[in-house]
Amino acid sequence: GAAGNIVDAVTAKYPTKKVGTLSQLKDGVQVIFSYPEPTVSNFLVKLGEKAGGGVGPLEDVVAFNALCTHMGGPMLGSYKHEHKVVGPCPFHLTTFDMKRHGIVVAGHATESLPQVLLTVEGDDIYATGFIGLIYGRHQNT
Amino acid sequence: MAKPYYEPTDSIPLPPADAETLTTACDYCIVACGYKVYRWPIGKSGGPKATENALKVDFPRNILQGGWISPNMHNIISHNGRQHHVVVVPDREAKVVNKGGAHSIRGGAIAQKCFNPKKPTKDRLQTPLLRVNGELVPISWDAATDIFAEVSKHVIDNYGSHAWAQKRYSYQYFENTYALSKFAWVSIKTPATAEHDNPGHFSSTPGWRDIGFENFAACYEDYLIADTVVISGTDPFETKTILFNEWILPGVRERGNKLIYINPRKTTGAAFAEANGGLHLWLNPGTDTLLCMGISRVIIENGWEDSKWIEEFTNNKWESDSGFGQGVRNTPWQWRTTWGKFQCNGYEDFKKWLLSQKESELAHVSEMTGVSIADIRRAAEMMAKPKADGSRVKTTIGIEKGSYWSNNYLNTASIGDLALLCGTGNRPGQMISRMGGHQRGGMTAGGYPRNHSPEKFAGRRRKGLDLDRWVEAGKVRFSWVVGTTWVNAMTATGHLFDTLAKQTINSPHQLKSTDTKAAIEVFKQRTDAGGMLLVEQNIYLTEDLGKKLADLVLPAAMWGECDFTRANGERRIRLYSKFMDPPGDAKPDWEITAMLARKMGFDGYDWKTSNDVFEEAARFGRGGVLNYHPLVKYAKKHGKTGHEQLREYGTTGIQAPIRLEDNELVGTKRLHDLSLALPESGPEGHTVWPKKLKSFNSQTGRANFIKTPWFLFGDFYDEIKPRDGELWVLNGRINEIWQSGFDDIIRRPYITQRWPENFLEVHPDDAAKLGIESGDYVTVTNDRVPVQVSGFIARDVDDLLFTGLKKNGHIVYDKAEVKAVAIVMPVPKVGTTFMYFLNQKESANRVVPRVTDPISDNYRFKLGFGKVAKSGESPYKHTFAQMSFASRAIM
Repeated sequence: GAAGNIVDAVTAKYPTKKVGTLSQLKDGVQVIFSYPEPTVSNFLVKLGEKAGGGVGPLEDVVAFNALCTHMGGPMLGSYKHEHKVVGPCPFHLTTFDMKRHGIVVAGHATESLPQVLLTVEGDDIYATGFIGLIYGRHQNT
Repeated sequence: MAKPYYEPTDSIPLPPADAETLTTACDYCIVACGYKVYRWPIGKSGGPKATENALKVDFPRNILQGGWISPNMHNIISHNGRQHHVVVVPDREAKVVNKGGAHSIRGGAIAQKCFNPKKPTKDRLQTPLLRVNGELVPISWDAATDIFAEVSKHVIDNYGSHAWAQKRYSYQYFENTYALSKFAWVSIKTPATAEHDNPGHFSSTPGWRDIGFENFAACYEDYLIADTVVISGTDPFETKTILFNEWILPGVRERGNKLIYINPRKTTGAAFAEANGGLHLWLNPGTDTLLCMGISRVIIENGWEDSKWIEEFTNNKWESDSGFGQGVRNTPWQWRTTWGKFQCNGYEDFKKWLLSQKESELAHVSEMTGVSIADIRRAAEMMAKPKADGSRVKTTIGIEKGSYWSNNYLNTASIGDLALLCGTGNRPGQMISRMGGHQRGGMTAGGYPRNHSPEKFAGRRRKGLDLDRWVEAGKVRFSWVVGTTWVNAMTATGHLFDTLAKQTINSPHQLKSTDTKAAIEVFKQRTDAGGMLLVEQNIYLTEDLGKKLADLVLPAAMWGECDFTRANGERRIRLYSKFMDPPGDAKPDWEITAMLARKMGFDGYDWKTSNDVFEEAARFGRGGVLNYHPLVKYAKKHGKTGHEQLREYGTTGIQAPIRLEDNELVGTKRLHDLSLALPESGPEGHTVWPKKLKSFNSQTGRANFIKTPWFLFGDFYDEIKPRDGELWVLNGRINEIWQSGFDDIIRRPYITQRWPENFLEVHPDDAAKLGIESGDYVTVTNDRVPVQVSGFIARDVDDLLFTGLKKNGHIVYDKAEVKAVAIVMPVPKVGTTFMYFLNQKESANRVVPRVTDPISDNYRFKLGFGKVAKSGESPYKHTFAQMSFASRAIM
C-alpha cells in the first residue's frame, strides 16, 4: 500500500461517507462521487486487478480525485482499462497509474492524482480520507 | 537518506501578503520557464483570499488559472542565517515562454532543489574535503586552495600547460563559465579542457556549421506558426515540456499543424503526432542520414524543392568555390571543407550527387531505416509538396541529441540539406534549430588555445584535444572537474573509470595526514611518478568521481544561492535571483575560481560580486549570438549595474543578441531573419550587427548544400550493429528525470518513488523472445565495446575511419554490464531498448562505444548495444508503492 502508517493520521481529519456499492461497479467504468464536499468530484473505478489501496474481494476498487494535479484538467471519461491508467489529460496529456496510487506515468504533474481512501462494509463503499492535495486548493478540508 | 517514497501532504502554507517576491527561471531544461519565489519567515502564513496572500489570488484556484501551489513547490530555506518558507511557482503573469504560469514536472518541483537539512538535499557539500587514508575529511578553504595552487604550479612548471586539465560544464551561468574559461584558457593556456558532454572542444552540429545555420536561430513562435514541424532525435513533450505544451500542441489543435517525429522511440509526443494527422518515422537507430537522403530524393524527384528560394539563398558554383568553409583562412575545419567530399558546386551539383547515391534509393533507405516507402513519401509531401493553390508549406525543423549524437556530422548535414530543399532557415515559421538540452550559459574568455593542442591532421591546422584519450595516454597530471560526473557522462564509462583510478587511487602516493605541506609533497611525488591529482568541484559528491576517485573536493553554490544570468533556447537572457544562503562554506564557482587564481598569482580576478564578472564577460561575447554588451553599457549610462538592468526585465528577460535602437534596448527574436528590419542609420552605440542577424553564417551569407557520403559512418555502423542476439541499447532523458540525475532521482522523493532504479524499455516482441516481463531485473552485457585509444598527431582521414583506426591499433575492446528494471511496452522499436543515460549507479554509457566521429571528433553517444537477459525480479514487480510499468505512449 501507498501510505502505510500515515493513513491513520490522514483519515482522522476527514468525514466518513458512503460513496458507492461494490455490486453497482462494472470493470473499467468510472463512477463519479463527491467528497469531502459537494463541490469536489472524484471517481471510483474497478480495475479488475489488485491495486495499491484497492478494496473489495479482489482489492481492485480504487478512487481518485477527478482533477489533474498539473493544471486542473478533468480526468473523468479518460480511463483506459487496457492500461489501468487515466489520461491523457485533455489539456497537456498527463497520464496517471490507477494501480499505483495515481503516480504520474508520463506528463507534467508534480503530484500523484490524490487517492481517496476507501473501506468496505458489506456491499457499501465508504470514503474515509485523502492522500494528497486536491488541485487548486491549499488544504483539502 | 531518502525515504523510499514520497509522503504526500494535503495542505500547504500560503505566502502572506507581505512575503518578499523575487524572479528567477527554472534551472533545468533549455526552455527556462519564468518562476517567482515568495519568501517569508517561518511562523507566519497567508490566507486564501486575494488580499491575504502574496500571489494576490483567491484559493481554491480554478482550472487553467495558474497560481496553484502544489506541495512540491514549497520548502524551508535559510536566508541571512534565518529559516524562511519559500514557494517557487511558475509565474502566472509570465508574458513569454510559459505564458500564464504553465510548468513541467521538473520546474514544478524545483523548490525541492533547495538545501534543507531535514530533506534529502542534506548531503550538499559544505566544506572542502581531502582524501586522507582513503576517506574524505574536511579541511579549510585556505588549505584546499594552497594544495590546488602549489600542485598546479608544479605540474605546469615541470610538464607544461597541457598536463593541466579542466573538465567542466558548458552551461552553469555566464559568470561561472567565464571565470572557469578565463582560468584555463587565458591564465594557464591549456588545450586539455573539455565540456561536460564531449571529449574536447568541437561543434555539436558541425554539418550546420558548414551549411551556415546557427544552433539556436529559431524562436518558440516558429514552432507554432509553421504548417509542418519536424522533430528529430528528441521529444519536446518529454524534455522541453513548455515548448511542446505552449507552442507545439496549440499549433496542432488550433491551427491544424502537422508533426513529424523522427525517433526510434514512440514517446507520448510521437503518439500524439500520429493521432493528429502527423507521422512518426519509427526508424532504426543510427539511420537518420539515410532517412533524410531518402526524403530529399522524393522532394527532388517530384520537383517540390523551393527553387526560387534555393536560387536566392544558397551558394551557386562560384560562391561555393569562393571559399566555402573559409578554406583559405586556415580554420580548424579547413580540411573538411576543402577535402572535396562534402563541398557542392551549387544546388545542381548536390542534386546530381544525391540522385547518384545508392544510399538515397528508397528501397535501400526503407530497408536500412525500417521506415516504409509510403511513410518516406508522406514525410516529403508534408514537408515540401506545394499546396493546391501553389503556395508553399511552411516547415520548421527542430533536432536534438538523439540525432546529432549518433552520427554527428552526417546527421546534421543531411537534415540541414533537407531544410534547404524546403526553403527552411530564414523566415518566420520556416526555421531550423536545435531544440536544446541544457540552457545556454556559456560565456567564454578569449578562445580555446588551439595552437597548444598536439592533435592535428597532416598538413592541416591543429584540432581540439580529446581529453579522455589524453588522460589515458598518461599526459595529464592535474585534473579539475567542475560540475560534471565526467566518468558516467562519457562513453565506455568503465574504461574511463579504470584510467582515472590508475592515475589516482591506484597510485602508491596517497595521503596519510591532513597536513597541508605534507599533502602538497605527496601530490608532487605522485605527479612526478606519472600520476594525477584529481579535484572535484560540485554541489554534491558524485558517485564515481567524487566518492571513489577525487583527492580534493571543493563545495560549490548553485541556482538560487547567488545572482546568475543565462539564456534559454530562444536566446532569452534572465537574471536568476539569489534567494537563499549557500550551505556551509559552499561558494559559487566564479568565486572559487577567483580564490584559486589569486593563490596562483594570476591577475584579473579581483571580482567582488557576480555582477562584476557578468560585466567583464560582456566584452567577450560581442560578436556572438548571446551578445549582451549593449545592455551593460546601457545600464552603466543609467546608473545601474548589468544585473540590476536585467532584474527589471523580470521573467520576460530580453533576447540576445541585444541591440540599441533609438536609445532603447531591443532584443532579437530570431537569427538569419529576413523579416528583421534594421535601422538604415546603421548600428547604434555599442551595438554590433553580425552577419547572422539577417543572413546565414557562411562565407557569403548564403547557405551551402553539403554532400553526406555514408562511407564515413558505414564501417563503424556495420561494426556496432547488434548481432548474435544483441539489441540496441539507446539512452537519453525522460520527462521526470532530467537534471543529470543528482537532483531528481536521488534527492526528490516523488521522483525517487517514480524511478527508484534505472530502467530498460523493451518492446513486447523482444520481451516475449527473452522471457522478460515488466518489473524483472535485467542485465545488459556487452563483451565487445569498441574503445578508441591514443593516436594524436598527423592523422589522415582514412586513418580516422573505423577501419583505419582498427588497422592502426587504435581500437581495443572492453567488456561492460549494466543492470536495470525492465518495462515492457511498445515504445522502443523492435530490436531496440532504451534506458536513462546518466544514472550514477547504473550508467547506460557503459555499453556505448568510445569511437569518435571522424569529421567532428564527437562521440556517438546514443548507439549502445548488448545482450539483454533476465536476472531476477525487482521488488516493484508485485508491489504498488514505487515505479509504474504503464506505457508512456497512451493516447
